[in-house]
Amino acid sequence: MASSIPGIEDAREILKKHKIVIAGIGETEQGKIPNKSSFQFLSEASKLAIEDAGIKKDDVDGLVTAFSLVEQTFMHCTTFADYFGLRPRYFSSVAIGGATAVWMVAEAAMAIAAGQAEVVLCVRGDNTLSGISSSGMVALIREMCHAEFEFPYGLTTPGGYALAAQRYFHEYNARQEHLAAVAVTMRKHASLKPNAMNKEPLTIDEVVNSRIIAAPLHKYDCSIISDGGAAFIVTTEKKAKALGIKKPLVYLWGMGEGYSHQYFTSLADLNQIYNAIGSSGERAFKTAGVGPKDVDVAFLYDCFTITVLLELEGLGFVPKGEAGPFALEGRLEIGKDLPLNTHGGLLSQAHLGAMHHVVEATTQLRGEAGPRQVKDAEVALVHGNGGIVSAHSTIVLGKEPIS
Amino acid sequence: MSEKASTKSGGYEKPLPEFRPETKPYWDACKKHEFSLPRCKKCGKVFFYPRALCPVCMSQDLELIKASGKAKVWTFAIHHMGPTPAYKGEPPYVVAIVETQEGVKMMTNIVGCKPEDVRIGMAVEVVFDDVTPEVTLPKFKPIGK
Repeated sequence: MASSIPGIEDAREILKKHKIVIAGIGETEQGKIPNKSSFQFLSEASKLAIEDAGIKKDDVDGLVTAFSLVEQTFMHCTTFADYFGLRPRYFSSVAIGGATAVWMVAEAAMAIAAGQAEVVLCVRGDNTLSGISSSGMVALIREMCHAEFEFPYGLTTPGGYALAAQRYFHEYNARQEHLAAVAVTMRKHASLKPNAMNKEPLTIDEVVNSRIIAAPLHKYDCSIISDGGAAFIVTTEKKAKALGIKKPLVYLWGMGEGYSHQYFTSLADLNQIYNAIGSSGERAFKTAGVGPKDVDVAFLYDCFTITVLLELEGLGFVPKGEAGPFALEGRLEIGKDLPLNTHGGLLSQAHLGAMHHVVEATTQLRGEAGPRQVKDAEVALVHGNGGIVSAHSTIVLGKEPIS
Repeated sequence: MSEKASTKSGGYEKPLPEFRPETKPYWDACKKHEFSLPRCKKCGKVFFYPRALCPVCMSQDLELIKASGKAKVWTFAIHHMGPTPAYKGEPPYVVAIVETQEGVKMMTNIVGCKPEDVRIGMAVEVVFDDVTPEVTLPKFKPIGK
């Protein structure tokens, strides 16, 4: 299929030729887990992913890590390689906030396609809940905004998303209940996920009556903070077969990034956000040769409830301004129109960027999600979002090779 | 690289801007209670925040122009929790993005009215808050208040 977007044909050709797959996944316990370091979570998650694939540690020749909010290191990937006893021939750290995990898959795929590695371990872990100091938390909030032109006005991270939510309310007559519906659905899904941090039922009323953090966002509109690790192994179908990997392979069909702004001050209007989400999604969709209607299960970054509404609309799942009613009608639940974050997401399961979104997408396409399984799931989309709806990344995954 | 303003000056313990060489003239003007915005002398673009070169045409031939100080609220968030311990007792306070008459957006606080009275589209004008002897933050209040 011809595309007017530069690079799509090349990307399709490369993904068809190499048949990039996710061949192993691992996630540690999640929640409040004191007395485990960031590097311990990284190691445990890596071990679990290697064991899940049924390969040896020495089969791993590529390493992609992210960053730690607690133990900040200048060279994160090689620091972890040293700790874990790995001597990769390809190594890199991706640091684009919440857009990181999704882009780790793409980074691994590109390294493989360029002949730099064959079996890439992608891992992130952190003891954010137990390990971060109050000054570390302040530093993180400062990092999320412009230190000179925004932070002195007392902006917080929820406050940044509240700025987006307030404008969204104004433009589309959205209501508090529309945001709350996302949180309620995530909680419902988390109740089916064994390692989820928050599983007790949640109602719309409880969300809208929870403590206001930064109006219009309430406590349950905000994601949780947790400790834990997650990992996945990216390789090719050919290499997976050569290594005797028995797990069902999940294929990478497309990928894309989209940039809007770094600082909210630099945002022209909401369309700039929609365009960034949309161009990220369009590149992934066009490369995959599918569209929103073909997606059986979606994994969207849910750092705040508003993020999900913007993503649903930006990616073209629903028209602008209609994601709220869509959520309120329960259409994001398992068994409905577009099952979303079947693991409970950042709002209820755990917060490790979109690592668990990638792991759960793989689990769904393998058909291993048990009570959370989306029937006949063949195509999944995962979308990451970094900054204040600033930086976006999307991948499309399939149960079969890309065609 | 940056000149850090005193963090404890006059008991003010909230975050303060750390001036860079290219932003200091903007802050110096604020200190004199003059609201100014950077403008590219080559392409004419008025932009915010101040930078060393024009974010549109890369020209380094820039000037600070005297701005109207008039703006409209584009969006806002009523903060019920502040980012640092120094905000204890302060919330609720309003962080807003305002669009100035010159067409640039900037972050600020809306002061001089109750947080619940702030609306998108509300006309506001600059007021200067001398938070320390070194730092003056431009904030905005409803026009006529």
